[in-house]
This record gives sequence, C-alpha cells and structure tokens, in this order.
Amino acid sequence: MLRTVNRVLVGLAGVVLVVLGAAVLVGSLDLQRRWGFSLSSAWPFDGPHGVLLSAADRRRYRGRAWWWPVVIAVLAVAVLLALWWLLAQLRRRRLGEVVVDTGDGEAAVVRGRALEEALAAESGALEGVDHARVTLGGRRTAPQARFGLTLAPHAAPASALHRLRAEVLSRAMVSTGLDSLPVEVRLRAVRHRAERVE
Amino acid sequence: MSGGPVSLEKTPPENLPEGSAPDPAGPVHARRFWSGRRLPAVLVAAVVLGLVGVFVYDVAAVRAGRPAMHWRRGLAHELATRSLGDPWVITGAVVAVLAGVWLIALALTPGLRGVLPMRRDEPGVRAGLDRRAAALVLRDRAMEVPGVQSVRADVGRRRIRVRAQSHFRDLDDVRRDVGAALAESVRELGLARQPRLSVHVSRPAKK
Repeated sequence: MLRTVNRVLVGLAGVVLVVLGAAVLVGSLDLQRRWGFSLSSAWPFDGPHGVLLSAADRRRYRGRAWWWPVVIAVLAVAVLLALWWLLAQLRRRRLGEVVVDTGDGEAAVVRGRALEEALAAESGALEGVDHARVTLGGRRTAPQARFGLTLAPHAAPASALHRLRAEVLSRAMVSTGLDSLPVEVRLRAVRHRAERVE
Repeated sequence: MSGGPVSLEKTPPENLPEGSAPDPAGPVHARRFWSGRRLPAVLVAAVVLGLVGVFVYDVAAVRAGRPAMHWRRGLAHELATRSLGDPWVITGAVVAVLAGVWLIALALTPGLRGVLPMRRDEPGVRAGLDRRAAALVLRDRAMEVPGVQSVRADVGRRRIRVRAQSHFRDLDDVRRDVGAALAESVRELGLARQPRLSVHVSRPAKK
C-alpha cells in the first residue's frame, strides 16, 4: 500500500516540477514566437520580459474575504499530509502476533517476534546459510514473511533456497497450521577473500 | 528489461546437484523486485513539509498582525521584478524540469537493479539473489579450478563476465575447465533468466 502511495506521490511531484519548469521555459526562451504556436491569452508566462509573479497578480484576490482562510487551509492540509507521509516512511510495520490453529477448534496466538526469531534461528542453522533475518508482515491470520539470508562462502544459492523451503518453511506451516505462508527471500553473501578450498 | 514472462535460454541442466529444485519445463514467471522508493519519498516529503510549513507559519503570523518575515518580502520582490529571460530563472526552470523527470523515472521504474530474480519453483516463494553474491559464488567456483591464480567476476543483469588469470597448465585446458565449472555454477544460482556467460583466461602480466 505504502509502496504504491510512494510511487504515486513521487511521480506527482515530478509531474508538477516538469510542468512548472516547462511553462516557465516557454516564456523564458520565447518558444511561442520561435516555434510559431500560440497559447491562450490567459497564459501567465508570455515572453522573456514577463515576470514569474507580478505584484498585481499576487494581490489579485487579497481583498476577497475567502482568500486568506482558503490559503491557510490548503497549506495546512498540505503540511499535515506531508507530515503523515514522512512519518509513514519511518515507521516499520511489523506483525505483532500470529493466530495459530491448534487443531481442536481453539485458536492460540503466537507473538510475531517469537515466530520471527524461531524462523531466523532455523534458517540460520541451514547448511550453506551464514545467518538469517526474518520480518513478518501481512495480517495476523494470513502472515507473510521476508527472509534475508546471508550465504556462507561456497554455498550454492539454489540449493540453499531449496533447503529453506523443504526444511524451514514446511515445518513452520505445519507448526502454525497455516495453509499458506507467502515468502520473499533476498540472498546475500558474506564478503570473503578468494582462497582455495583443499 | 521488463519483468514479463521469461523463458530459460539454455536447455535444462542434465545433472542437477543434490538438493536442487526440479526444473519446470514451461516458461518461468519471475517478476522483478520493485523498490519501495522510501528514500525519494522521504526527501520529497521533507522538502514539501519544510517549504509549505514555513509558508503557512508566516501567512498565519501576518494574519495575526505581525510583520512578514524578511525572506518573504524579498521573494515577492524577486518574483515581481526578475524577468523570465534572466539566466537565474532559466537555470531554475531547467533544474526543475530535470528534477521532475528524475522523479517520474523513479516512480515508474522498478529499481533494485542489484537483485536478480530467482526461478519460482514453488508457489508462494519469491526469491532474489544479490548480484554481488552471485559474483562471489562464481569467483569461488572458478578459484577451485587447478591453475587459476586470480579471478574477477562481473555479474550484470544479462551477462556475466569472468576474467581469470592462470599461472600454470595449458591455457586452453584451464579455459575449458573454468568454462565448464562456471556453466554448472551459473545453473546453481537458480536465476529466472540465465545470463550469458563469457570467460576470459589469460596469463598474469610479467613483473
């Protein structure tokens, strides 16, 4: 969700900048005359001798009663939205708890942190994996996991991934009673010197 | 580079290493990893917050009867007197257009070029391999070939370039062995789209 919001808002900011900059350039470089097209007479930047914002334009609505309240309201809303957007980036969304089906009609709740640590310990102990980090996301009845696996030297990525699926994930799904556990895995490697294994 | 369906360029490997996943016969769907674009979002949000915040503060202060801040009167003066043909105005407009294009590109492209998508052999598991990790795996594998003294592996999105230096054995033999070892090793990376592999073996420069 936030990923989409980020892309839409960043793109929107880009469009605003491009449109503003291009509009000013049309006036600055006198493109209307040079390239022989004309825009409506309401176009604000109509030639290299115009200005960005004349004093008359700036004061145009000043006398109206609605002007300042509207300006302040719009700016205040923009400030609040920007603040929310900024804080949303800094907050790390993590799953607090996972609902586990115990098999006898009852449901138990496992702390998300505990499940993360168990998954990380098990995957970190796999052959070919140096250490692992796990974050849970999604909903408490349908969690998703993100794995960051750091490969040990001389490990084959495909087989490490296969061991993760075969050993850690299948066991985790059995023990939590989840039908599916969508997983995203990033494989990295420890930096090490090139040396021969004898 | 699109993230659409990609078919394996090479034939399925005959001898898979033990523990490796079965190779699906049909085309493999592996989408690129898309970045969350947090850093650009933080920057844009912070700039908007700062600019608009200062403005709303000053507008409200003026409404409350205090004089406008110095910069605001200066800004209004500049906006009303500097002509559009002024070099500073043109520079500012060009910078705005370039920054805008950059932001649009950030919004539309996946990013995370350092992560290579891996084959999706099982539903529910999406995996990506860091290019740097892939390079380390290939370097280590090439180092195991007898006669190889040093290796440089560059893993690109579409091709892998390995340069090895060999200080003994016949160069052609070393080349053949390194090529065979790396072809096997590239398959063991389990990538959705197998990059092309090129291997160069040479003698180290004489001191």
